[in-house]
Amino acid sequence: MSEVKVLTEFYHLPEYQTLAGYKAKGGYETLHKAFKMQPQAIIDEVKASGLRGRGGAGFPTGMKWGFLPKNGEPRYLLCNADEGEPGTFKDRMMMERAPHQLIEGMIISAFAIGSNKGYIYVRGEYVFPIECLNKAIKEAYAAGLLGKNILGSGFDFDLDVYRGAGAYICGEETGMISSLEGLKGQPKLKPPFPAVQGYLRKPTIVNNVETLAAVTYIIKDGAQTYRKHGTEKSAGTKLFSLSGNVMTPGNFEVPLGYPLMDLIMKEGGGMKPGRKLKAVIPGGSSAPVLTAEEVAKANLDYESLAGLGTMLGSGAVIVIDDSQCMVDMLGVLTHFYAHESCGQCTPCREGTGWLNKVLHSILEGRGRLQDIDLLIKVADNMKGKTICALSDAAALPVLSFVTKFRDEFEFYVREGRSKVKGTTYAEMHH
Amino acid sequence: MPKCTINGKEVEVKEGTSIIEAMQQSGDRIAHYCWHPGLSVAGVCRLCMVEIEGNPRVQIACNTMVTEGMKINNTSEKVKDAVKWGLDFHLINHPLDCPICDQAGECGLQDQYMEYGKYDPEMAEHKQKKHKVVDLGPTVVLDSERCILCSRCVRFTEEVSKTNELGLFNRGDRTEIGTHDGMPLDNKYSLNTVDICPVGALTSKDFRFRQRVWYLKDAETVCNGCSTGCNVKVFYNKEGFFRVKPVYNEQVNGHWMCDEGRDIYKFVNREHRLLKAQVRNASGWTEMTAGAAAKNANEVLKNSQGDSLALVLTAQYTVEEFDAIVSSFVNEFKTKKVFFWINNKESFESFDGLLLRGDKNPNTKGLLKVLEKHGITATWADLTSGLNSGAIKTVVVAGPENMNAFPDFADRVKELSKASNLIWLQATKQDALMALTGNVWLIPTKTFVEKDGTFINHAGLEQKFKKATTIVSEALTLTEAALLMVGKNLAIPAVNATFMPNNQREDQVTLEARKKNEFVFRRGSL
Repeated sequence: MSEVKVLTEFYHLPEYQTLAGYKAKGGYETLHKAFKMQPQAIIDEVKASGLRGRGGAGFPTGMKWGFLPKNGEPRYLLCNADEGEPGTFKDRMMMERAPHQLIEGMIISAFAIGSNKGYIYVRGEYVFPIECLNKAIKEAYAAGLLGKNILGSGFDFDLDVYRGAGAYICGEETGMISSLEGLKGQPKLKPPFPAVQGYLRKPTIVNNVETLAAVTYIIKDGAQTYRKHGTEKSAGTKLFSLSGNVMTPGNFEVPLGYPLMDLIMKEGGGMKPGRKLKAVIPGGSSAPVLTAEEVAKANLDYESLAGLGTMLGSGAVIVIDDSQCMVDMLGVLTHFYAHESCGQCTPCREGTGWLNKVLHSILEGRGRLQDIDLLIKVADNMKGKTICALSDAAALPVLSFVTKFRDEFEFYVREGRSKVKGTTYAEMHH
Repeated sequence: MPKCTINGKEVEVKEGTSIIEAMQQSGDRIAHYCWHPGLSVAGVCRLCMVEIEGNPRVQIACNTMVTEGMKINNTSEKVKDAVKWGLDFHLINHPLDCPICDQAGECGLQDQYMEYGKYDPEMAEHKQKKHKVVDLGPTVVLDSERCILCSRCVRFTEEVSKTNELGLFNRGDRTEIGTHDGMPLDNKYSLNTVDICPVGALTSKDFRFRQRVWYLKDAETVCNGCSTGCNVKVFYNKEGFFRVKPVYNEQVNGHWMCDEGRDIYKFVNREHRLLKAQVRNASGWTEMTAGAAAKNANEVLKNSQGDSLALVLTAQYTVEEFDAIVSSFVNEFKTKKVFFWINNKESFESFDGLLLRGDKNPNTKGLLKVLEKHGITATWADLTSGLNSGAIKTVVVAGPENMNAFPDFADRVKELSKASNLIWLQATKQDALMALTGNVWLIPTKTFVEKDGTFINHAGLEQKFKKATTIVSEALTLTEAALLMVGKNLAIPAVNATFMPNNQREDQVTLEARKKNEFVFRRGSL
């Protein structure tokens, strides 16, 4: 097995960014087909495809669309392009290399759910992807692919790019909606769910870039063709952002169910000379880490990774070799989550800061042995206690790092230096 | 009407009731900070955890609706552990400054800790330092490090006052409450944010550091600041009255009251009061007891019966008092020259849409009802012409208590002093009255916290209230004054005011004063 290029087939072509280049490869033909279908038929096709949201949560896309109220109330389609999870950079490539692919997917999706207004919410520092999107949207408007009466179908759809100010939590759908509404990017209580009451308190569907792009291929070739890739419960292909201590990091599209070790060894070119695989974070920094032994058993699909106590998440595979200090790495992660917690729910607001302080006490040589258990207790009590999943995202790496690599933490506390690197925190970073 | 089981008890609630509301209904205690019945649900403190049968995770009670057959408990070890950790998260960056915190004694965090906490702390790290003594505006001070970010105050300014001054700034454990740039917390309801702050983060400039709350008694009454008639609680001790807070009444004021209303305790205190009656004649002022002065006025009143005698009433007294004094004048002195002194005419009918009404009298409806009952039709123009022509020789005035609402006071005094005899019933000391010449009787009256009675608010709602305490023991109610003025004898039970003479700085409590406070009385000695 190796890469299967369904979404990314033409990404190597520079002209694929343009309307002409995209059309030359069959772009927007699926839109014609979609307009001849009933919206419900599109939703049914997406349901039948088994497509699960590619942003991280993996919720079935068709089922999410089905939660929209059946009345004719105005509704919104939001594209979640706020790619903030450390290790994740797949959507960036899609927006840069194939902006029309996303736009076509959004028009089809909007037609299916009856939305006349969409936004692409992009992380603020993604300046180049935003330029690519804006250019493509302009081209699409000029070609009558956006706006009023698209391709004479009678369907209207307006699309805008919204540049976020930059907060990890704006990638959470209700946090994104708050931000889009001009408020502080803080998640909202659920229920009500966005499909019932979202942007401007209207029904809203939030889908990831990759999810919306995949819709085009499902409608083009049919759900059953799409399902030929992947596993029974994890259908289709998925883009994986491979980073860390591998020879050739990058984005790779493989069918779900692909062996994790193959991704590292074949697509990633294997470990650097003389280094051994120590651990892998399989689904973005919030996913529990796998040991090398676990990696050997892992396939890149929702069920296999769940079976190993971790998750597919956004598909950001971070490879860690034996030169890395797990205490130091966790220090980076706890700092990130303490910085990014929106500050709304108490366990997350205070817990992320607490974890970060305890970990940095250890790193700076002030740690106590009981701090290791304290990290576990604090993380345990942050899990499942907040409005959104950021608290879990902060807690899960702590729990897995400390549990699976406890010897490194104990050594650090006792010796005041890294077991792996042999140096102190100050020496490591200065 | 779904039925559920809460801690083993069956409870029936209205459709759409949240678990926390159902628990309040069933009398079950539940930890919470961010939930407030007058505000939207924020669900951020994560303390109101409950276990619902069939659900593996504990849930927040404030945002979970009761459904038919739901089995809820908040007494299991799982819930207790979740609440314990919730408290721990609240406390890790909270300063341990209870001994100097103004909220000590009525702090939600203290209360919750005593009920659900009491464990060895596990936090060994430095606390996150935040800003101290932030001046938010004319009425409120913020100690940010005490703030537990429940967002009640922010929601209040968004949802109730709709002034949006407050916001949550920064992220993570650096998050702080603050005012938006260039926008102080300055609205007519700002002090409600202090009431709903569950810790000592928001404090009232007026009350801050003036008293420890356990040195205060409280009593419920009705605000006399305007015709809304908010239900309030007054807080006092032997040193005087110190603050006013709202009491929930769905029909009248909900959970809130205005900032103006919070000032009504000030004129009640001894230093503002007319303590003795003053009677003036050609030879100058003579001090008398209030009862003696009222009795003394009887002579001149008897001689001015009929149309030469006028009664001027402000709508600041109780229905019972109005009835007593108007009856006396109509029946005993045979006059129907009873006049309603309407203050701030221009804004009398205004209403801000929430609570504040332009009619700054608590009992206009009550006064009008009594006037109607006695067939009084006299207008202020009749009084003016009677005074100008000299037809009205004697005027009795029941003056206002709350002077802030009577900007025309001095002008009215001047106008009414045209009468040959002026008998003025008044609770507070007023320079304009002491400057009068001629025949003047100044008789001290009781304020609304010193008597029982009824106010009828703008909507016609009758609200009875009880006496809280006595401040000026000699002061009379209008009823008592009326009986004495018609010449009856009255046995007024001696009630000793236990309030101390306040001759020191407002914020200074001497050792002597401290020895007299309630706490020490109960404990025995210092």
